Amino acid sequence: MTTFNSKETDSRKDTSTGNAMISICAAALGFNLLMVIGIIGLLAYHGLGAFWQRELVLLTLDDGTRLLGEVHDREKIPLEVQQRSADDPENEGGPRSMVTADATRIRLKTGNRDVTGRDFIWIDERRVSQETRPEDATILERTEYGNFYGFALEIRKGENVLAAGADDVWKLFPSLHAKKLATLAEIRDLEQGAVEDVNIEIEDLRLARRGVEISSLPDEEKEERFAAIDERFREAQSTYETLAARLFALHDEVIAETLVMETADGRTREMPVSNVVRALRPNSMGLGASLGLYASRIGEFLWDNPRESNTEGGIFPAIFGTVVMVFLMTLFCMPLGVLAALYLREYTKENLFVRMVRIAVNNLAGVPSIVFGVFGLGFFVYLVGGTIDKLFYPEALPTATFGTGGLLWASLTLALLTLPVVIVATEEGLAAVPRAVREGSYALGATRLETTARVVLPAAAPGVLTGMVLAMARAAGEVAPLMIVGMVKLAPRLPLDGQFPFVHLDRKFMHLGFHIYDVGFQSPNVEAAKPLVFATALLLVILVIGMNLTAIAARNHLRRKYESKEI
Amino acid sequence: MVNSSISTRPTAADQRVRHGIFADRTPRRRHIADWSAKWIVKAGGASIIAAIFGILIFILIEVLPLARSARVEEALRVPYRGEPARGLLSDEYLTHAVTLGLDGRLQVIRLGEEAPQVVEERDLLRGAPSASVPEGESSAPAGEPKTAGPGPEPVLTRVQAHPSFRLLSASRSDGRVLLAPVRWKISFSEAEGRIVSCELPDLITLQVDPRGRPLSAYALVKEEGESDALPVTIVAQLEDGRLALVERKVKVNLFTDEVEETVDSSYVEIDWKLKDVVLDPSGKNLYAVTLDDRLIRWPRQRGGLGEPQVIESSGSSITAMTLLTGGRSLALGHGDGRVSIWFQVRDASDRFQLRRIREFTGAASPVSSLTTCPRNRSFFALHEDSSLELFFSTSERLLWQGKSPVKGTTAVCYGTKGDAVLFAGQDSLVVKRVENPHPEISLKALFGEVWYEDYEEPEYAWQSTGLNDSFESKMSLVPLLFGTLKGAFYSLLLAIPLGVLAALYTSQLMSPRLQKYVKPTVEIMAALPTVILGFLAGLWLAPRVERFLPGLLMMSVVLPLFVVAAGWLWGRMPLRIRNSIPDGSMAFYFCAVLALGIWFSVAFSGVLESWVFGGNIRNWLFEVTGLRYDQRNALVVGIVMGFAVIPIVFTISEESFSSVPRSLVAGSLALGATRWQTVASIVLPSGSPGMFAATMVGFGRAVGETMIVLMATGNTPVLNWNPFDGFRTLSANIAVEIPEAPHGATLYRTLFLSALMLFLVTFLVNTAAEVVRLRLRKRFGQL
Repeated sequence: MTTFNSKETDSRKDTSTGNAMISICAAALGFNLLMVIGIIGLLAYHGLGAFWQRELVLLTLDDGTRLLGEVHDREKIPLEVQQRSADDPENEGGPRSMVTADATRIRLKTGNRDVTGRDFIWIDERRVSQETRPEDATILERTEYGNFYGFALEIRKGENVLAAGADDVWKLFPSLHAKKLATLAEIRDLEQGAVEDVNIEIEDLRLARRGVEISSLPDEEKEERFAAIDERFREAQSTYETLAARLFALHDEVIAETLVMETADGRTREMPVSNVVRALRPNSMGLGASLGLYASRIGEFLWDNPRESNTEGGIFPAIFGTVVMVFLMTLFCMPLGVLAALYLREYTKENLFVRMVRIAVNNLAGVPSIVFGVFGLGFFVYLVGGTIDKLFYPEALPTATFGTGGLLWASLTLALLTLPVVIVATEEGLAAVPRAVREGSYALGATRLETTARVVLPAAAPGVLTGMVLAMARAAGEVAPLMIVGMVKLAPRLPLDGQFPFVHLDRKFMHLGFHIYDVGFQSPNVEAAKPLVFATALLLVILVIGMNLTAIAARNHLRRKYESKEI
Repeated sequence: MVNSSISTRPTAADQRVRHGIFADRTPRRRHIADWSAKWIVKAGGASIIAAIFGILIFILIEVLPLARSARVEEALRVPYRGEPARGLLSDEYLTHAVTLGLDGRLQVIRLGEEAPQVVEERDLLRGAPSASVPEGESSAPAGEPKTAGPGPEPVLTRVQAHPSFRLLSASRSDGRVLLAPVRWKISFSEAEGRIVSCELPDLITLQVDPRGRPLSAYALVKEEGESDALPVTIVAQLEDGRLALVERKVKVNLFTDEVEETVDSSYVEIDWKLKDVVLDPSGKNLYAVTLDDRLIRWPRQRGGLGEPQVIESSGSSITAMTLLTGGRSLALGHGDGRVSIWFQVRDASDRFQLRRIREFTGAASPVSSLTTCPRNRSFFALHEDSSLELFFSTSERLLWQGKSPVKGTTAVCYGTKGDAVLFAGQDSLVVKRVENPHPEISLKALFGEVWYEDYEEPEYAWQSTGLNDSFESKMSLVPLLFGTLKGAFYSLLLAIPLGVLAALYTSQLMSPRLQKYVKPTVEIMAALPTVILGFLAGLWLAPRVERFLPGLLMMSVVLPLFVVAAGWLWGRMPLRIRNSIPDGSMAFYFCAVLALGIWFSVAFSGVLESWVFGGNIRNWLFEVTGLRYDQRNALVVGIVMGFAVIPIVFTISEESFSSVPRSLVAGSLALGATRWQTVASIVLPSGSPGMFAATMVGFGRAVGETMIVLMATGNTPVLNWNPFDGFRTLSANIAVEIPEAPHGATLYRTLFLSALMLFLVTFLVNTAAEVVRLRLRKRFGQL
């Protein structure tokens, strides 16, 4: 340590550079922490804010235009925007002299996509001459064209006016709406129950017919079977027709009553009552009602199906798909991971082979996830899936059953990806079990299997659990490989349902992570979908971080348990 | 003996043991169970290695066919009689061939093993009417010849086949060109499946030389579209040296199907005697070779020809000329056996000039014919000594080499699907199957600069699919590799200093109590799904970076200033307070300071923009530095991917710093070194291999990251280091393109190749890091 001696003369300067360096180190850490807090905070703010109903404002502009909507953003107008609009012959932004640095504009969500063709509009605040919050301003959340903002006029049935004026309309609306929802539910039950069953039967019969066609049976026998199939086909067909007639009747019933609404600028719009998901008058809602609405929106988000090409409604199928996929993956990766960890810790001494396995595990953890996706596509989907199709589902070809991305292949691919996580955590758990415990077991005459299975593994269970939870967290957040091997924007059916064989390994499924990518980047109306994406992201973050914290807690528990025993 | 228990820990297992769960088992059965368990566990361990090698080998197997040459195998041989065929055509399914010899005999030959036979025969010379109208009533093959006035009976001087127009043509010694269209009728029947039959519509003749003298060379092109009425343009050199341009325009009456024909002719004086002419499919360019081996290009303009570009002979004679698919590349066969490829390149003065692009060396004998594949840019070169080669232009690959299968080859024709080639010789017709799945890939095409059609110079380019069939796919991995490195570079630029310094602080200068909370907090960043980071980067951060770019640039100055000032202030704090709070609280203090600094920079961003950058920083950037600004750029990716890499760097370096033995640190402090001196001279050097490992693993992570780059860059494969421009990485490229890549196609395998490269890079990097870490652990273990 002679170097210090030479510096001693200059120790004051040394201390101050030292302090500066320590500051920089601390700042680096501070920056990291700030980023973590920032990201979580940002997600929480936007994600939780997505369900909050803002007030409706009615703006009257200097040219008399009336606009009704929610204020979503307020910012300084960038100078180039001002200049552009000043140069614009239409000149909506005002003359060039109005180009100033501190002009602000607001982003108003005006909805009414079916009337105006867009959801959002920027308004220069200097043009607003009057701003009011009318009590009876109404938002209709609809099943198509997004939200409607306006005022209620009347409810009609055909030519008959059932209620006129806002008060009467809102008196009649709740009971009528509930009735319509009940009818809608009936339709849905019918569609997903009986109609679906008939459809599946018809498809099965088609496949059966094709199967007979390509089989090597003698012609007479073929004819016989065709006759039987055709008989059943006719039966199914007639059942279907009865059901379809009933469906049509219900459909007619559902759209019988219409709600007539007026926009802020006086245009009227007529829409079936059943198209309304929720009718709100936010300006006349108290805090209690607002909180109730907030809770009901979160409920809708978690339990409902998406609407409007995923930009509205709930994300239940995505949550469900993620969960099913993750559990299936756990089923594949846990046994193998635990075996490999046992091998590394309990069954060998350190040798070249073990070192190779270790390097392999490490590399498996480092290989980019997209590579797993590519492998999964080539190996599972095309090779294994293609072979299965040829052997077991020749009648369905060229439509692939397993030879296309699906639940099974996605979970297998992710099982490979998360294997190292399981191995490392399990190994750590095994390493924490003191030697003495094993030796005790051996001393009592237990074989290695007995020691491992009855003594070591139960003791290392928290480690195994840690591995499992970490693997699940990883799988829940991984998107890149899944994009290739089995996800879709919108799955018509859940991978788990009441149809035999209940778990449909070949089905495509929705996934939270992919949902974020898809809605945020591929949907036609990104701006309107943003709140939903933020909410989805928040949900995913909560899931993943929650699982990670669980794993960390389990690991700490394990460490503490054996810390004292080690000595 | 099993009945006693482990005294220290009465677990559930022990309970079961106590109750004699093994009591009913014989020692033999226990032994067998133990033995099989051992092997099952071993198999489990081995399966990990199997998994990683399995992945590697499987991907390799999918990639390897890219390197395979083409296979050209004889499929069928049919005897042929008569005057040698000069023109040869076939249908898509290779059921029939149509031949035309100089004697004017058109034969339709069925290609099949059983009784190969001539299905139909027609004599073009004797059956042909003299007027330039479609042959109508006098179509009987044995109809009396209506010769054009007195003189000898005309003979055919040249025959050409035009597979893409389904047409055979010939020039006749009376200055006319005959057009013999061939139509294929496809029908399906239950019993036999597909049936293809050949129809020969009426012959069309066009008077090219008004004085009825033989033509010395001619070329023709059919107007685009599916019209069967043959709107064609013919270019021919007349005996007096003039170049004739004859356009046959047709109008089909929709009701009667009657064809109304108009023929426009124009004549251009030229100074050269032409050996061969070629018109490109658009009809806009005319290429010619003169008798003294000059190459000439005329742009075709309305009603004539533009200024010719003349390229003097390079010394070797030109013996064959053809256009490759797409009509842009001209292939020339030379007397010394070489083949050269030419196309037009825009020069400095913005004019298009024909340039020699590349050259292939085949057998040493003169090239007698070049036959292009209709599906891609491969072509067969046939030499006079009947040696035969298959080349691919873009990738400069020699795909196959062999001999012509027939004696005295007179015509070669590529099947319309590009999967077979037909040879006509003196006494037989031969069909060869061509299996040529991945001709466009070669080392040069993947990693070298390639001169593509329509490009001004050789370039590295990735553009895998185009709008139409004549698209030349550009498969250079260089822009993608570059993009991968660019993304990794910018993110490591942020992640390495932040991660390492934070790790240093956490491991050395922080109290264990705080460590317990800080470490998991930073490490949990690694668990954040990257799709969320990508989403935030693309939809939240990118627009804000664009809006507050001056503020962001200002941060690089403001933040260090704030840190230093705040550090100085911290030093002023009374010792009494400083000692009462736990070591490492400074980090939280700086959290607030940095937040303040960031707020300050953002707040003054607009002011800075109008003062320094003239109100618009993007214009300023472009005008002053020439840098393009893209909203989703490398800067955004650097910040967000850096954020994703930080926890990795942090964890690994933290591990290596805290594994520096306490005794070393304590010794240094005992000798009077300050804490920073100890950290800088003891901990940092001892832990530096760990920093190296952290860099490596962080690099591996950044290289393979997909979602962030996919969502936060524009995914344009460009080659520059501009931090304000986007890029495309290997991984994002896979994610973007593999859903569109058909199984087994070239693109599919090329994407597998990129996956293989990613695999190998991360494998190398991770192995290196692992070796370093093991060595480090061993070294500290000895201390």
